[in-house]
Amino acid sequence: MSEHLPVLIFLSPLMTAIILPVVGLAHREWSRPLALAAVSVMTVLSLINLVVVIRHGTMRYTFSGWAAPLGIEWVDDGLASLLMIMVSVLSFLAMIHAGFAEPSSLGGRVVPYYALILLLIAALTGIVFSGDLFNVFVFLEVGALSAYALVGIEGGKALVSAFRYLILGTLGSSLYLLGVAYCYAVTGTLNMMDLAERVPELLLSKAIVGGLIFLFLGLGIKMAIVPLHGWLPDAYTHAPDAVSPFLASLSTKVALIAWVRIMFWVVGANAEIDHVPVLFLLEEVGSVAAVVGAVLALTQSELKRIFAYGGISHIGLILIGVSLGNRTGFAGGVFYLINDAVLQAALFFLAGVACVRYGVRTLDDVRRVRGYTPWMTGALVVMAMAMVGFPPTGGFFGKWYIILGALEARNYLSVGAVVVATLLTLAYWVRILERVFHSGRPSPGQTQGQASAAPPLDLPVALKVSVGTVSAAIILLGLSSDPIIGFLRTVAVPPGL
Amino acid sequence: MFDLIEAWLLRPNFLAFVILFLWGLYIMVARPNLVKKLIGLYIVQTSVLLFFIALSAKTGATVPVLVSAADAVQAAAYANPLPHVLTLTAIVVQVATLGVSLALVAVIYRTYGTLDEENILKKLE
Repeated sequence: MSEHLPVLIFLSPLMTAIILPVVGLAHREWSRPLALAAVSVMTVLSLINLVVVIRHGTMRYTFSGWAAPLGIEWVDDGLASLLMIMVSVLSFLAMIHAGFAEPSSLGGRVVPYYALILLLIAALTGIVFSGDLFNVFVFLEVGALSAYALVGIEGGKALVSAFRYLILGTLGSSLYLLGVAYCYAVTGTLNMMDLAERVPELLLSKAIVGGLIFLFLGLGIKMAIVPLHGWLPDAYTHAPDAVSPFLASLSTKVALIAWVRIMFWVVGANAEIDHVPVLFLLEEVGSVAAVVGAVLALTQSELKRIFAYGGISHIGLILIGVSLGNRTGFAGGVFYLINDAVLQAALFFLAGVACVRYGVRTLDDVRRVRGYTPWMTGALVVMAMAMVGFPPTGGFFGKWYIILGALEARNYLSVGAVVVATLLTLAYWVRILERVFHSGRPSPGQTQGQASAAPPLDLPVALKVSVGTVSAAIILLGLSSDPIIGFLRTVAVPPGL
Repeated sequence: MFDLIEAWLLRPNFLAFVILFLWGLYIMVARPNLVKKLIGLYIVQTSVLLFFIALSAKTGATVPVLVSAADAVQAAAYANPLPHVLTLTAIVVQVATLGVSLALVAVIYRTYGTLDEENILKKLE
C-alpha cells in the first residue's frame, strides 16, 4: 500500500475534481464538504508519506509497470514529501478560509470554483512528484489552465487580468515545451534520471544550453522572476479573495521547485558552461529579482499590490538561497520557500478580509480602520516581522541560513542583495505600519466622516481563527526551524551538494 | 556566413519553425485585438509542435510497427514515434488552452462590448 502513496495523494483531489461537477448539479451545497474531505485525505496521506520516506528512503513510482526510461516515473524523495506537506496543509487552510470569504464574492459559481481549485492542487502535486520533463509540462498546463479560469471566475476587472495571465502563462509553457524538445533532440530521453547521466557531458552543446535557457525562461514566467513578472501583480490583485491565497502561496513556488529539480537532479550542482558556473548565473538573477521586487513593492500604494511585489522579491531570495551551491544555502532557500508560502497565504487572507469587511484597498484606507481591529493588527504585525525577518518567525531563520550559506560560499554580492532586499522590505512595512500605529489623529475632515460612516464591525470568529491560525503557523515555523533545516540538510539534499 | 545560410536552407523545416514562432510572437505583441493575440499564441504553440515533428522526420523511414517479432529491429528504418506521441498530448493541452481562452474572450466581449485592448483599458478606468 505504502508504495502507492504518491499516486493516492495525487488522485484524491483529482478524482474529487471530476466527481464534484456531477454531484454539484443536484446538490450544490455538497461541493464544499467534498472538496474539504479530499484535501484532508490528501493532508493525512502526505503526513504518512513523509514518515514512510524518512523510514524507507526515496520511492520511485512507475506507472503501468513501464520501467523508468520508457515509462513515466514519479520521484518521492525527501524534498518532494516535505513540499507535499506544504502544498496539502496550505490548500487545506486556504480552502477553510475560502469558505468564509467566498459566498458573497463567488455567487453561483461555487461548484466550478471548488472543482478548479482541486484540479489546481492536483496539478501542483504532479509537478512536485514528477521525474519526467514532459510530465511536468502537462501538469504545468493543467495547473495554469485552472489558475486562468480561477482568476477570471468572478468576472469584472479580473477578466482582463486573467486574459493577460493566460497569454503570458501559455507563452511560458510553450517556451518550456521548446526547451523539452531541445533536450529530447540531443539526449533522446525525457526521464530526469536518464537525462542526468547524459546532460553534464553535453554542456558544450549549443542545443542543450539553448534548451536549458528555454526551460528556465518558461518556468521563469511561471514563477514570476523579475523581469518576467508582468502578469502577477494584476492577476493577484484582481483575483477573487477566495482564489488569490492559493495562487500566491503555491503556484509560483511550485514552478520554482520544478526548476530546482531540473537544476540539481538533471544539470548537476557543479555544472559549468564555458567556465561560468550555472548556479552563479542563477544566483545573480535571484539577487536582481530580490532587490528589484522590493523596490517595486515600495512604490505601490495598493495593499494587495505591495504584497504581490513582496512575493516577487521573495522568489528572488529563494533563488539566491538554492543557488549558493552548499547545503546550508539550499536548506535556507527551501525553508524560506515554505515560509514564504505560508506568509503569502496569510497576507492575502488578511488583504481579502480587509477589503471585503472594511473596504481597505490602499495604504490610506488603512488609517481609517485603526483601532477597530486589534485581531487583524496583531496578525499584520506578525506578518511584518516574518516578512522583514525578525526572530522568532520563519522569515528570520530562512534569511539567516541563506546568509550563512552565502558567507560559506564567499558570495558577498548575494549577502548584499539579501540585506538590501530586507531593508527595502522593512521600508515598505514601515509605510504600512506607520498608518496603523501613527499616534496623531488622522487628517481631519474626510477621514473622520468615513470613519463614522463605516460602523466598527467586528470580525466573525471564523475569519479571526483562520487569520490567527496562519499567523501562528508563521511563528510555529520559526520555532520548529531546527528540525526542518536539519531534515533539509540531511534527507532532502540534492545530489552533488 | 555562407555556410550558415547554407545550413539553414538545408533544414527548411527548422527555418519554418523559427519564422512561425517569431511571427506568432509578433502578432501577440503588436495586435491590440484580443482574438488576434490568441491567433498569435496559437501560431507560437503550433510552431513548437512543428519543431517536435521535424525532429522525428527521417528520409525513407516507415511507421514504427513491428511486422514480425522474429526480425531484428532496425531503428534506422522507422520514424521515431515518441515526438508524435508528445505532439498529440501537446495538441490536447493546446485545444484546452484555446477553449479556456476563447471562453474568457467571449465573457470579456459581453462585459465590455469590445475586443480592442486599448478600448477595454479605457473602460477599466
